[in-house]
Amino acid sequence: MDMSDKQLSDMTPSKTATVQEKWIKLAITAGVVVLIALLPLLLTSPYMLHIFILTFIYTIAAVSLRTILTSGQFPLGHGAFMGIGAYSSAMIAKWLGWSPWLTIPVAALVTMGIGMLIGYPFARLRTLYYAMGSLFFGMGIIYIFYAGGSLTGGYSGLTGIPPLLPIGTSKVPYYYLFLGLALVSLLALYRFEFSRIGINLKAIAQSHLVASSVGINEGWYRILAVGVGCFFVGLAGAGYAHYTTVLSGNNFSFMATLWLVMYVLIGGKDSFAGPIIGTFILVLIPEFFRDLKIYTPFISAAILLIVVFIMPQGLVSLPKLVRSWFTEHRKGRRITHAS
Amino acid sequence: MLLEVNGLTKNFGGLAAVSQLDFHVNKGEITGLIGPNGAGKTTVFNLITGVFPSTRGQVVFDGTDITHKKPHQVARLGIGRTFQLNPLFGNFTVLENISASFHLHPSSSLLDIYFNTATYRRNEAYIMEQSLEISKLVGLDNVKHELAKNLPHGYQKMLGMARALATRPRLLLLDEPIAGMNPDEIDSALKNIRKTQQQGVTILIVEHNMQILDLCDRVVVISFGHKITEGLPQEVRGNEEVIKAYFGDEHAA
Repeated sequence: MDMSDKQLSDMTPSKTATVQEKWIKLAITAGVVVLIALLPLLLTSPYMLHIFILTFIYTIAAVSLRTILTSGQFPLGHGAFMGIGAYSSAMIAKWLGWSPWLTIPVAALVTMGIGMLIGYPFARLRTLYYAMGSLFFGMGIIYIFYAGGSLTGGYSGLTGIPPLLPIGTSKVPYYYLFLGLALVSLLALYRFEFSRIGINLKAIAQSHLVASSVGINEGWYRILAVGVGCFFVGLAGAGYAHYTTVLSGNNFSFMATLWLVMYVLIGGKDSFAGPIIGTFILVLIPEFFRDLKIYTPFISAAILLIVVFIMPQGLVSLPKLVRSWFTEHRKGRRITHAS
Repeated sequence: MLLEVNGLTKNFGGLAAVSQLDFHVNKGEITGLIGPNGAGKTTVFNLITGVFPSTRGQVVFDGTDITHKKPHQVARLGIGRTFQLNPLFGNFTVLENISASFHLHPSSSLLDIYFNTATYRRNEAYIMEQSLEISKLVGLDNVKHELAKNLPHGYQKMLGMARALATRPRLLLLDEPIAGMNPDEIDSALKNIRKTQQQGVTILIVEHNMQILDLCDRVVVISFGHKITEGLPQEVRGNEEVIKAYFGDEHAA
């Protein structure tokens, strides 16, 4: 059934303005992607490339955490799910001899399966109860990694994980590999959020009573959100395992989860771009001020406070804020000129 | 008979909010479920729609036993509802509120949605068209791009009803549709309810405001979870038990 033009214009009062905005956003995104893709030409230090590769991996994890957040659930075990992806991929590859190219997607599916299985009883929990439930589940998972003996490497960690690319490969191929993985993952999660599935999730987050009264199966959608979020964090974790080739339970502790939450909150939890910006800022800034690295938690807390007070919508709202300051300022000047 | 409630009972701890309630709703009619505050009217709605499990009793909708169904399953079978405190999708616009409620008709499969197939796009276009129509029907088309949370109370109530209509219900449960409204708003709300009935939707209204009586074909009066009486509005209006329930013993003369 086609809609007439009149109805279309009915729906978008400032249609041209929104279309224009959409193109500007698209152009900025394309520009940033091209810039990041060209970066290895300028940046020859393997260490900096390494930092960027980690940033790509954590971007996937942070955005996937936000996917669960849009359904109104506050997961505090997301770092542990990254660990499930990492350990399952590493263990299958190491102990069964499968190729990492195969174990990474398998591990993502395993993480998704465990997430949905746990999501089933957890779908009855709300708000703080859900947060605490997922928190303690995550802690339990970490202890399994520690207690796994030689299978998981125990407290000393799992080493000798088969790398994704032949040993001796420089950082540059890894850089493009993980940039590609991040782009594909973000595209998939973007599509998920801005379809009717995402609308239903946001509806549930706003009022689960109303959502179920119009026929949205609340429990199923919440489990679906957890499943998708876990798939991508599992993917990120598995990629991480075969990039670093060593794992320790510490990598996925409660602290790791808190950092992911921090990326989302500082960047802006209400916007898709929020966690991406948050991750880049919080991972890269300490690297540029290496002397200050031990103060990272303090600096991050300070940034969080500033963001909460000045930009409640996160760093992603900075351009809008600057624009409004700018127009205010100009308006003010015009008034003084006139007087 | 579209809805039949038999021996419905709900205990909250030791308190019987609803006890041994029997009533029915005839197809095509507007039935009023009235009673003073705290009579258990909203609890009855929550039991019918599966928000709470009932302690005892049975709810039958169009021949199907829905006593143990979940809220989204009840909605799927064709029962739409509004809420007394009228929760909304506050951060959605009016139009988004309505279109989000079109979850059932037409419904696209997850794969269709995710891969943005022709079926999904066709369904979405249809939903948009229908949402616009409903917004016009209830008189919200001039505020359709406003966020629901910014609307005045009367409009929010209308939006609640628009949302319930978007599920394409056969039975519509309205929980205090005119509470807190000014006379003008009451007027247009009553007109909307009448219009909805004329389109073939059966309606059950919970209300403590007696003004709603004029609209009803049949009325069921409850107090403290018990049915006091039922019948035509004019019969109920003069019923001594009803006056007693509303005003206390000394006024019944």
